Amino acid sequence: MTETNSTECALEVRGLSRTFGARKALDKVEFDLPQGAFLSIFGPNGAGKSTLLKVLSTLTTPSKGTARVLGLDVVADAVALRERMGLISHNPLLYPDLSAEENLEFFAEIYCLENPKERIRELLVAVELDHRRLDLVRTFSRGMLQRLSIARALLHAPEIIFLDEPYSGLDPHAMDILDSLIAQVREQHTFVMVSHDLSKGLELCSHALILAKGAVVLFEERDNIDADEFAATYRATVGMGVA
Amino acid sequence: MAPPKRMSGWRQFKAIIRKDIVMELRTKEMLTSMGLYALLVLVVYYIALSQAGANFQVRQIAAGLLWLVFIFTSLLGLNRSLVHEKDQGCLDALLISPIDRPVIFFGKAVGNLLFLLIVEVFIVPLFYFIFLGSQSNADVGGPVWMIVLALFLGSLGIAGVGTLLATMSVNTKGKDFILAVLFIPLMFPLLLAVVAGTSAVLLAEPGYAAVFWQMMALAAGYDTVMLLAAYGLYEFVLGA
Repeated sequence: MTETNSTECALEVRGLSRTFGARKALDKVEFDLPQGAFLSIFGPNGAGKSTLLKVLSTLTTPSKGTARVLGLDVVADAVALRERMGLISHNPLLYPDLSAEENLEFFAEIYCLENPKERIRELLVAVELDHRRLDLVRTFSRGMLQRLSIARALLHAPEIIFLDEPYSGLDPHAMDILDSLIAQVREQHTFVMVSHDLSKGLELCSHALILAKGAVVLFEERDNIDADEFAATYRATVGMGVA
Repeated sequence: MAPPKRMSGWRQFKAIIRKDIVMELRTKEMLTSMGLYALLVLVVYYIALSQAGANFQVRQIAAGLLWLVFIFTSLLGLNRSLVHEKDQGCLDALLISPIDRPVIFFGKAVGNLLFLLIVEVFIVPLFYFIFLGSQSNADVGGPVWMIVLALFLGSLGIAGVGTLLATMSVNTKGKDFILAVLFIPLMFPLLLAVVAGTSAVLLAEPGYAAVFWQMMALAAGYDTVMLLAAYGLYEFVLGA
């Protein structure tokens, strides 16, 4: 395991590139993110947002450059890093033929948690699904799936949470619940969210990043961002085409 | 808040198998499709062989017929086992968890082996009673445990290689086609060994035991090499 000295840095990305054949999905991406920050990543379709999230969450490896998450290299220290991160996707990442409780029990075993029953109960109550804990996940609505998905991601108390379009397909009530759940755990975690929703992304973030054609167009702290200027920059990137 | 414990591959391995069994008991997708397909093939065999005339000795080709059922039946199950993981992005949930990739491989392979063995438990006796039990020489031939050993070694190879190939093909567009195209040629050495071994026991001709052990050694060697290769390649195959 290769810990860095800069322990206050949640993300350190240096010259990160990822190619698929001749196509550059990520092109020399560089930025640092402090611990406890909330990074919103914006960009048009095909800009490389999801690829960046996949590299940071160890689902794919970079072609060039390095990325360190919580001081751990995403390639060399991938297993150690996976113990400390969670992923909430627009896909629920849950088994439809298991109950809510069985899904969480399964992932508790995968993360080798001690006293998983207590933790599972606590999380099911937090996401307001305790009354449906024995129901099969295939009977859940989109909002319920997303709430359970949050419980799954928080099960092992990760330090950094990756969110891939978490609001996609949610009704306003389900969005409110997701907002409140994120607010509850906001202080103790670093968040990295990929989103198309400018207003939601800016509302939540402490830092914002715009990607276009796989490269960083803008990376700025929220306090230094003017929403109108940011929206104009974002709109300009949409015309830049895909990576 | 419960702190994570030191990762235990054995605990994760058991969790994957338990999850697959619970899901299969609930949906019965794999066992039903595999069982029905195997039954249908037996019916087709019965119709075809009933045209062959009274002098035709089914026993001469019984081992080949039996393994043909299992090879094609296993393809159905292997496809389903990984599609379950892929459907709702569950494979990604496993891949971002601190689990060694070979643990996922062995968990899925043992689950596939278990389901194939369950189908065999029903199909082998049925095959015997339909095609061999009614003949004048209704004995199995050699000892039954030899047949069981051949079935186990054959199924082990099918589950191991099949799980690796199903993982490779699950991300492709024509996954059913690709699995079949890769699976059958790769299985050829194992099929040769288990068909010859099973046939030797069913025919029980002089010196059959030596042929049987020779074939079982080939099957065991194939299983060992392929399982080790799958163990080594699984992380690469998963692409993470």
